[in-house]
Amino acid sequence: MSFFWFVRHALVAQFTRVPPLDQFVRHMVDAGVGSIGLLTLLIFFAGLSLAVQGYAAFVRFGGQEFLGLFCGIGGIRELYPVMAAVICGARIGANLAASLANMQISEQVEALEVMGIDPMNYLVAPRLWAVSLAMPLLCAYADVVGLAASYLAAVHQLGVNPGNFMAQLRGIVGWEDLAAGVFKGVAFGWLVAIVACYHGYRSAKRDGAEGVGIATNRAIVHSAVLCIVLNMILSAILYV
Amino acid sequence: MIAGVRRFFALLGEILSFAVEVARCMIQGPRFWAETIRLADVLMRRCLIPVGLAVAPVGAVISLQGVSVFRMFGADGILSSMLAPAIFRQYSPALASVMVAAQAGSSIAARIGTMKVRGQIDALAVMSVDPIRYVVVPGFVACLFITPLLNILTTALGLVSGWFFAVPVSGINPGAFTANLYSQVTLVDLWVGIGKCFFFGGAVGLIAGFLGLRTTGGAAGVGKSANNTVVYTIILILVADYLVSMLLLELGL
Repeated sequence: MSFFWFVRHALVAQFTRVPPLDQFVRHMVDAGVGSIGLLTLLIFFAGLSLAVQGYAAFVRFGGQEFLGLFCGIGGIRELYPVMAAVICGARIGANLAASLANMQISEQVEALEVMGIDPMNYLVAPRLWAVSLAMPLLCAYADVVGLAASYLAAVHQLGVNPGNFMAQLRGIVGWEDLAAGVFKGVAFGWLVAIVACYHGYRSAKRDGAEGVGIATNRAIVHSAVLCIVLNMILSAILYV
Repeated sequence: MIAGVRRFFALLGEILSFAVEVARCMIQGPRFWAETIRLADVLMRRCLIPVGLAVAPVGAVISLQGVSVFRMFGADGILSSMLAPAIFRQYSPALASVMVAAQAGSSIAARIGTMKVRGQIDALAVMSVDPIRYVVVPGFVACLFITPLLNILTTALGLVSGWFFAVPVSGINPGAFTANLYSQVTLVDLWVGIGKCFFFGGAVGLIAGFLGLRTTGGAAGVGKSANNTVVYTIILILVADYLVSMLLLELGL
């Protein structure tokens, strides 16, 4: 089963019929609400780190007053969406791949087929919808947490003038940057879900417990790498 | 809440006593060198492409966004003095370690977890081969050494991709780019990155071994161990990154 075959069938299943709504809601809650704790913790530290790192780089040539600009551009446009995608991708993607692989090796997918239920429609489509709608929300949430952390670090820890920080931020970051971040989120979410579903769906009964581990591992690595590369491509298209 | 805090500290204590046990096993033989080198070779091959693909776009993105900002002030020559410390100290070590955790850590955890749920770990113990010495220590040592090595490679790759998007693509003066690069980068930057990677790589190997040996519950448990290894390591890397940056700023390095 090749990746492109899988993508074609998944797209058909995703856009031709309404996915089972109970499944969709369950996976949306799993992917979205389940990731919030982890995401808050990690993006908070990433925001603090971004401010400190930017300060350390700018203070070398006396530009520490541009910290607001640096945190705005570096954070909102690049770091927070892609970090949300990599972190949540690792968590959500691993869960999706492990659960689908587990269903494959315990022959639950065949059981669905025998009952005349299309597994693409019943298993894959709701997961694709859920993750591609949850990820943009997580990206927007990451923007808020990350900016708050950068502000805290810049103003209360490094002694940057708060008015100056906010003025720089407002001057450089507009609604279109937030919208671009959310758009990136949709793309990352769909990518994470399709990669994870592919690796999970592809495992076979003979692989056993090892197959679940391999599927999880591949889902995490491939989705992280693809998100980072896609982020570069989207940034080059959106901002150049 | 209280129960959660108590559980967290209990887990921390277990990890620390596991680390002490691993250190004791490393000091007292028997050591399985052939297994260690074989594992390091396999992991290095597996990690090379993902790590490279993860770090190279970051250099490109810093250059693309940096050029547009510095252009506003007509100071695009100093881009490299922001790019180089960011790559050397922050993004190359952090991303290399995250990808080593994602690739090597989760595969070590999955392998040990599979052995555990199949009862092979107990079989080793019955044959009086210590599972920590034979299974955990080689993974730990391999991660400890491949992460700094990969970091050297990714730092170079990040710089090259940053240079590519700054000089040929965006048209920054190549002389100004290299001059600012040489004047801003010191050996401290290089050692900070390698030191971080040494620490993070060790943490990956340790957490993978710890969670792998605790796997329960069949095939689903194996996936969960692999997943938790990645999540815990990313948390550790981000928190440690912030603390190290603060420390270096305080020290004025």
